[in-house]
Amino acid sequence: MIELVAQTFVNGINIGALYGLVAVGLSLTFGVMKILNIAHGEFLMVGGYFGFWLFTLLGLDPLYGLPLVAVAVFLLGAGFYKLVFSGLARLHEETKVKNSLLVGFGLFLIFPQISRMLWTSDEQAITPAYSGGSFPILGVRCGYVPLCALVMAVVIILGLHLLLTKTYFGKSIRGTTENWKSAKLMGINVERTYLITFALGTALAGIAGVLVAMTQTISPDIGMSWTLKALIVVVLAGIGSVGGAFFAGIILGVVEAVSAIFIGPYTVALGLVIFLLILMFRPQGLFGKA
Amino acid sequence: MLEVKSINVYHGDLQALWDVSLFVNERELVSLIGANGAGKTTIVETISGLLTPRAGSVTLDGVRLDQMPTHKVVKMGICLAPEEKGIFTGMTVLENLELGAFVPESRRIRNGTFQFVYDLFPVLEERKKQTAGTLSGGEQQMLAIGRALMSKPKLLLLDEPSLGLAPIIVKSIFGVIKQINETGVGVLLVEQNVAAALGLANRAYIVENGRIAGSGDAKGLLDDEKIRDAYLGTG
Repeated sequence: MIELVAQTFVNGINIGALYGLVAVGLSLTFGVMKILNIAHGEFLMVGGYFGFWLFTLLGLDPLYGLPLVAVAVFLLGAGFYKLVFSGLARLHEETKVKNSLLVGFGLFLIFPQISRMLWTSDEQAITPAYSGGSFPILGVRCGYVPLCALVMAVVIILGLHLLLTKTYFGKSIRGTTENWKSAKLMGINVERTYLITFALGTALAGIAGVLVAMTQTISPDIGMSWTLKALIVVVLAGIGSVGGAFFAGIILGVVEAVSAIFIGPYTVALGLVIFLLILMFRPQGLFGKA
Repeated sequence: MLEVKSINVYHGDLQALWDVSLFVNERELVSLIGANGAGKTTIVETISGLLTPRAGSVTLDGVRLDQMPTHKVVKMGICLAPEEKGIFTGMTVLENLELGAFVPESRRIRNGTFQFVYDLFPVLEERKKQTAGTLSGGEQQMLAIGRALMSKPKLLLLDEPSLGLAPIIVKSIFGVIKQINETGVGVLLVEQNVAAALGLANRAYIVENGRIAGSGDAKGLLDDEKIRDAYLGTG
């Protein structure tokens, strides 16, 4: 029993790191622009398929393909920002959130259809030769691929943290998050900051997509469920903390995995219960400021 | 240096400014005075590019600014320390000042500017690691002014720096504004505290209901009966 729980715990951390990665992207976009991109998970799905393409068509190892996918989804995100989201940036705050929901729903309807045409409805996965391999630690089996995904996620989150706290560009993102008007008065090109932040958020989703395709499977319809996971994590963590969102992702992953032993398929509802409880009793999130 | 020529400015469909003209010469300290809601903030927001006039022009040394986005106006050498301070409360004092020098030209010379700002406001150097939201109101105002100076502006726009502060702190901040002006920075100061503003400025404009209702030498205005009646309550 102890070994089962320990194994589940490890599995939970692995999946939780992906939750965290997806949530950080969503949190970044929401924090800076106050728009809720519910098509966030669609960019994850597309990123997963890009990685799948590179692997099956070009035989490129998914880990080498990762930077390419990141760049591709970054550009895709930038394009969609220009096309459908940039008009929202000028709107009043409340209208902005509502309209961004509509735009996101639109993309949520379009993206799966297009990917069905490109990649069919079948479940796909990226399966390099080493994908089944694992090694034991203290009776717990650690898969190479999940471990690799975990390390990748941690490295990316650390990199993002350094970007936001140490570079001028990162500080301009944080400044814009807090007060866009003052940011403008500092000489920051706020429109450009919006564009890059949005694209960065989608690129993070795209990277997560490749890791998802490596550790589980992808299909054209997985987008919304990942958006929901990301939303739960963002609410759990509170807006504005990269480390917090990542940590909250791991918490959700572990809670889901461990609870699955006891309550089986109801574990998906557990995430939503956490969502409600947090909104009722600690609306600023675990790591947010009141 | 700065010339505002007959601007009409709207908030949505509501006209806020009618035919406003003013100028600020190099190294001058000019004040905009008037009641709450008269349009003083609208004027400085238009100069800094946050608002775009529907008619008229804003120029700095002959270069049109009125169609430029704010971040380009900052590059031209105009920086506004906004009403209510607008500091980044979740970031440290140091990070606030760093963002003040965001424009590449100012970023290159920021080490010298830091020293300049710390000399004016020693308390900012003492508190540089502190989160800006934990500063007192007066210190936050000093940070807002210091942050605006980090861009090395030719013209500094100050919107109600005395708002909500104790008289003794207002006095020291006004002292620093004078000091800043003496280093060669032009200042356009928006104030409701008319007596203090007129005591400090070279010239002043009176703003009433979105129009310039009068202007002149600050000393002259201070002695003007009408002004005394309307704004100083010492008739």
